[in-house]
Amino acid sequence: MEMDLAVDQVIDPEVALKACQEVLLQVQLQNREGPDQQQQQQKQQQQVNNNNMDLTEGGASPQWDAGSIREEEEEEEEGEKHGAVREISQSSSSAAAAAAASKQSWLLRLFESKLFDVSMAIAYLYKSKEPGVQAYIGNRLFSFPDSEVDFYLPQLLNMYVHMDTEVGDAISPYLIYRCRGGIAFSLLTAWLLGAYSSDMHISTQRHSRGAKLRKLILSDELKPSSPPPASISGGSPASSPSHRRRCHRRHNSSSVESSLSLCAAGPVPAEAEADVFVSPSRRTHQRSKSDATTASGGHSAGLRRTGSNPKVEAVHEESLLGIGKRLATLPTKEQKTQRLISELSLLNHKLPARVWLPTAERQHHVCRVPHTQAVVLNSKDKAPYIIYVEVLECESFETSPVPVRIPETRIRSARSAENLDCGVSAANAIANGGSGITSEHRAGSFSTVPNYDNDDEAWATDDIGQLQVEVETQTSSSDNISQFSVDSITSLESKEPVFIAAGDIRRRLSENLAHTPTSFRRDPEDPSAVALKEPWEEKVRRIREASPYGHLPNWRLLSVIVKCGDDLRQELLAYQVLRQLQSIWQQERVPLWIKPYKILVMSSDSGMIEPVLNAVSLHQVRKQSQLSLLDYFLQEHGSFTTEEFLTAQRNFVQSCAGYSLICYLLQVKDRHNGNILLDSEGHIIHIDFGFILSSSPRNLGFETSAFKLTSEFVDVMGGLNGDMFIYYKMLMLQGLIAARKHMEKVLQIVEIMQQGSHLPCFHGSSTIRGLKERFHMSLTEEQLQLLVEQLVDGSMRSITTKLYDSFQYVTNGIM
Amino acid sequence: MSQLEKKAGLLRRTSSSKKPLKEKVVLMYDEIFAKEDPAKNNPRFWDELFLMKVNLEYLESKLESVDGEEVQRIQDNINSLFHHCVQALGEEHQIKVVNALQTLCALFRGVHQKNKSTSGFDIINMLMGFDKAEQRMKDLMERLDSLLCGDGSESLKSLCLKLLLCLVTVTDNISQNTILEYVMINSIFEAILQILSDVSSRGQHGYDAVVLLALLVNYRKYESVNPYIVKLSIVDDEPTLDGMGMVVHQALTEYNRQYKDKEEEHQGGFFSTLTSMVGSMFIADADEKLSVQTNEAILLALYEAVHLNRNFITVLAQSHPEMDIPTTPTTLTPTTPTTPLGTTPPSLDMMNNPELPLDPNLQTSNLLITFLKYASIVMQDTKDEHRLNSARLCLIILTCIAEDQYADAFLHDDNMNFRVNLHRMPMRHRKKAVDKNIPSRPLVCAVLDLMVEFIVTHMMKDFPMDLYLRCVQIIHKLLCYQKKCRIRLHYTWRELWSALINLLKFLLSNETTLLAKHNIFHLALLVVNLFNMFITYGDTFLPTSNSYDELYYEIVRMHQVFDNLYCMVLRVSTNTGQWKEAASKVTHALINVRAIVNHFNPKIESYAAVNHISQLSEEQVLEVVRSNYDTLTLKLQDGLDQFERYSEQPKEAAFFKELVRSISLNVRKNVSLNTLSQGILLKEFSTIS
Repeated sequence: MEMDLAVDQVIDPEVALKACQEVLLQVQLQNREGPDQQQQQQKQQQQVNNNNMDLTEGGASPQWDAGSIREEEEEEEEGEKHGAVREISQSSSSAAAAAAASKQSWLLRLFESKLFDVSMAIAYLYKSKEPGVQAYIGNRLFSFPDSEVDFYLPQLLNMYVHMDTEVGDAISPYLIYRCRGGIAFSLLTAWLLGAYSSDMHISTQRHSRGAKLRKLILSDELKPSSPPPASISGGSPASSPSHRRRCHRRHNSSSVESSLSLCAAGPVPAEAEADVFVSPSRRTHQRSKSDATTASGGHSAGLRRTGSNPKVEAVHEESLLGIGKRLATLPTKEQKTQRLISELSLLNHKLPARVWLPTAERQHHVCRVPHTQAVVLNSKDKAPYIIYVEVLECESFETSPVPVRIPETRIRSARSAENLDCGVSAANAIANGGSGITSEHRAGSFSTVPNYDNDDEAWATDDIGQLQVEVETQTSSSDNISQFSVDSITSLESKEPVFIAAGDIRRRLSENLAHTPTSFRRDPEDPSAVALKEPWEEKVRRIREASPYGHLPNWRLLSVIVKCGDDLRQELLAYQVLRQLQSIWQQERVPLWIKPYKILVMSSDSGMIEPVLNAVSLHQVRKQSQLSLLDYFLQEHGSFTTEEFLTAQRNFVQSCAGYSLICYLLQVKDRHNGNILLDSEGHIIHIDFGFILSSSPRNLGFETSAFKLTSEFVDVMGGLNGDMFIYYKMLMLQGLIAARKHMEKVLQIVEIMQQGSHLPCFHGSSTIRGLKERFHMSLTEEQLQLLVEQLVDGSMRSITTKLYDSFQYVTNGIM
Repeated sequence: MSQLEKKAGLLRRTSSSKKPLKEKVVLMYDEIFAKEDPAKNNPRFWDELFLMKVNLEYLESKLESVDGEEVQRIQDNINSLFHHCVQALGEEHQIKVVNALQTLCALFRGVHQKNKSTSGFDIINMLMGFDKAEQRMKDLMERLDSLLCGDGSESLKSLCLKLLLCLVTVTDNISQNTILEYVMINSIFEAILQILSDVSSRGQHGYDAVVLLALLVNYRKYESVNPYIVKLSIVDDEPTLDGMGMVVHQALTEYNRQYKDKEEEHQGGFFSTLTSMVGSMFIADADEKLSVQTNEAILLALYEAVHLNRNFITVLAQSHPEMDIPTTPTTLTPTTPTTPLGTTPPSLDMMNNPELPLDPNLQTSNLLITFLKYASIVMQDTKDEHRLNSARLCLIILTCIAEDQYADAFLHDDNMNFRVNLHRMPMRHRKKAVDKNIPSRPLVCAVLDLMVEFIVTHMMKDFPMDLYLRCVQIIHKLLCYQKKCRIRLHYTWRELWSALINLLKFLLSNETTLLAKHNIFHLALLVVNLFNMFITYGDTFLPTSNSYDELYYEIVRMHQVFDNLYCMVLRVSTNTGQWKEAASKVTHALINVRAIVNHFNPKIESYAAVNHISQLSEEQVLEVVRSNYDTLTLKLQDGLDQFERYSEQPKEAAFFKELVRSISLNVRKNVSLNTLSQGILLKEFSTIS
């Protein structure tokens, strides 16, 4: 078949398009070969179809999708038998084949229509056993935007791993093409392939397919071989791609030995050509040399491309996971945190490097890990932890030069300046008046930075004039500055005694203390509570101030939760469903609020999670504030009538409704208060989808209700008879109706992932059926309303929810 | 080839019949000390010389025995010996290199031993000759440099460092060692750094390298531009700085461990003596036994790094698991003789070991913590000169740290909590704190604890005024940082307040004896100003509003001390005398404290009278304090939050000169021991070839 040629070659979109057209042509040929009678019939059918299409074009009804798929299925039995024959020898045109062909052309119309989107493509890829259709869709994938296909990547890969060879063959050209296109994609693919292959034991042959591709990716065969972009001008490297790859390999071998050494090895070839500093090649000068070349322009940038490699990232992330595994063995949280900090600080030595966080939206390089900010999260026996990562955004992490390293202590005066009258940096120090920014002798590219830290400068001198600057910056930065510092300056000028009332000092002290935002107490047993309570903006500002890279305009702070020992594949599935429902609700304009958080599966027992910002768990809220949820809302947002409170309440209701539906549809269990977050705007966010669909924790029969709705929640909503509670129920009804309309889109995600999976959520045979039933396709809207009432009622009265909470309190200490 | 065989043959004979050959070397030495050119009769004389085992004692004693006039006559031969030594360093046969290195050692030492009084120029002339000195030293330094940086034998490198240490310490006063001028011109700084940056070489030679660097930095520090100072201050390569920190860390850890072992050992004996002799003054004895030789050289290295290099501060906070495991690192203690290659265990290097050893009992530590522990041990006993110097240096280092913005930032970092087990002096009136109960806190708490501990434990007749001044200044600097950055540290400030008040009390009661030696008013002023910091700026850095009340409570409770102090300073300042001005400063500083005392005392008394209570509880006093703030007016004092920055010159110059001298003596003593026992080295090379 024509698609086989693609496996080992580069596929570019043009080739793909051509292949598409070939398939189409074939189908058309078949149609023409059919008897005239049938052709006429076919025409009629097409007309009908056209009408159908016209009708559906406006509404995009899901039923139509389902219908077409059903027809397809019926046809498949026939088509399967003949498919192969027909495609090899086109001359044999039996009636059955012609019928099939007519159907195909009918399909073709759909495929070519504007309506045909990725979701449909995936559905047909999954349902159709027709190699021609599969091949066509495989080619069609090229024409969809990358980002849309990326959403279905888990589905694609699961099909690739677990389904027939034909499907695999259809997809693989696309996968290989994309892998060549970018490291991020290939790495993600490799991780997912590894994760989804892990369930298989039986068919070794298939197993090898997934494994083979994975090996192919990791072996670096698929690295982008396109010439460097034109933006790298001037002395672009003369070395051929093959040469580049070779020297690349050399680095690889070293990367096995020590984590991340590859990144360090990256600039070495550049250095050999750099004779900027003529000095004996000593260890100390190496860094400055290579940095100098970076600053000197695109020349070295081209060379640095060689540093881009899936392994760099892999090594980085693996070292993070390694830390997590080692942490798990430590007994107390305090020790864990200390160890975490020390290990991360070692990691810092190798940064900045061509390393990135896959959960981020924009391209960047990781430049520093503020290791002291990392905290270990609450977990009984595993050691998940959250780290914050400083990144510098760039156009592309593959081609942009890696940022120059800036030492931690960039802003301090050279104390020994009086001795350094011959050193280069001393000259700088003197030029700066010996105060503050002694620009690094090598980080010359940053010397244009304005005085980014007045505070530090002032600190470095005893100069009173400087001190005044300090005071001014303080006044502008904090509103509740004590009058005092200002007074002390004026007193210096006037030399007249200044008197102050002791009462003022005392009052200011208590005021200052009261003004600081309500922060949580530091608790060695729960180190994450404080870290998570701190508003994100506040944290960003604080870390930015402390970071040597903070002054750069493209500086960003990201965070990520590193988990190991947990299977995140279910989380990924839940994320996809949440995303799908979110977009459905957006499309249908139902104001339900949910927050899907990104999941990165790295293997079947490790991965990363995008943390939810500005949110703490209900457990932490209760434990720290010792207030009821409503009182906590009042404390955080103000009294009942304030704008802030009402907004927060509305947010709460909208998110509650959203998650109630999710919990019901996906049968999310293990809903104790440690798994429900509350963000600073009042939204609740459910996390930890470890028990969904067919699985529940230990099956003790707790949590029989549809979702968690405690009286505390109802209190926040203004009580059973409040408007907001009615609004809540109405939202749920609207949400359910909207979800029902697009059920197929949701089902499909789950269904494909069930293929070959041993995940607990697919336990038993009725998972999909059960899920389908919960959409209640057969009910009228009135009946649905009744259903919602029942669900809400049942959940509220549920004694098991309460029981489960107290069970969690007894066993895990979660309030 | 033939040479090689010859060498092998020679060596074999060495082992079989030692005596005649030993004489052969001696004979050859004698030839050198004769007037004639030894190579005249035997053109292969120098070749042969370096193939033979060096007899250091003989060579040195020979050099020493040469007197004035003879020197003139044999100078050419000595110059020639020096020249050939340097040339032999470039030989590919390592035996020759080893012998040449040792011969050079003996030459430097012997010549200096003899001519202690003579000027450096004469010595240079004698060794190398004036005209050729520059070239010779250049060659020597280049050869040493390439030996140190090359990937040759580790023992060779070690020997090179020994030679350099030997050269640096030949004079008591390093600044009078004129030969070092050439070491300044031909820098081996990069070689030292390379040793420190590489894991394996750091393990074996790190200690020597660091000590060498510390000494070189101190060569004519105040008189001229020392390139080592300049270079050290701009190093920013992190692996290298970390390596340096690691070496210091290991040395200090080793010391702490030794101390702990001794302490435990002693405690066993302590209880046994307790059973036999009850009530004797055992504690005093115990302290003396407990003292372990302090390591000033490594402390000096730490000081220079912290003081000169702004990037080194980050290394202080570089965490790694505590290395409490007895690793017997041979290079760590200068007292242990160097073991030859191969027997040295691979040093525990956390930096480049990606898989950190996992032991849940290991506390994570960093250089700063280790240093604080070390300081707590050293400060316990400041009676002998060495320990006093060490304690002073520790406080100077802490001063530098407290002044550093970045260091302050991580000292106060709320996320970096550690348990620091400081050593506390066993005292009769208090029990030894149980180690386990120390909470995990930001590091600055440990620093403050250490300062409080020092203040409390050193109020003695032989008053260490200098240390007290530094101690109080360190606290002041930390407070200034907290005030500036509005850091509300949860520290039990009360302990500090009562320690400071007790200090004032001690000054008062020992006024006459102390005044004979010290300006106690300066210290009193600093202490009172600390209180002024709390009183006037407390709103910016105190953790709770209660703590401000407690401050007033403490002042009112101990008002007697302040009253007495006021009387005393008033008396001194009204008399004319040398302390008049100093004392009057204290009277001014006391204004607010006195205002507080005079304001609250009547209030408290009337409260007691109204309520008919004779003894007010703390809570009641606090209540009175709280309700009477508004009628109290304080005077704002200038410059409370300003301090004089530390500068080594001119104040500390004398101290450092003396310190370096003592270190030089110590290092010289140890190096001589080491280099003399290098026989094993030769064996190693004989087996290689």
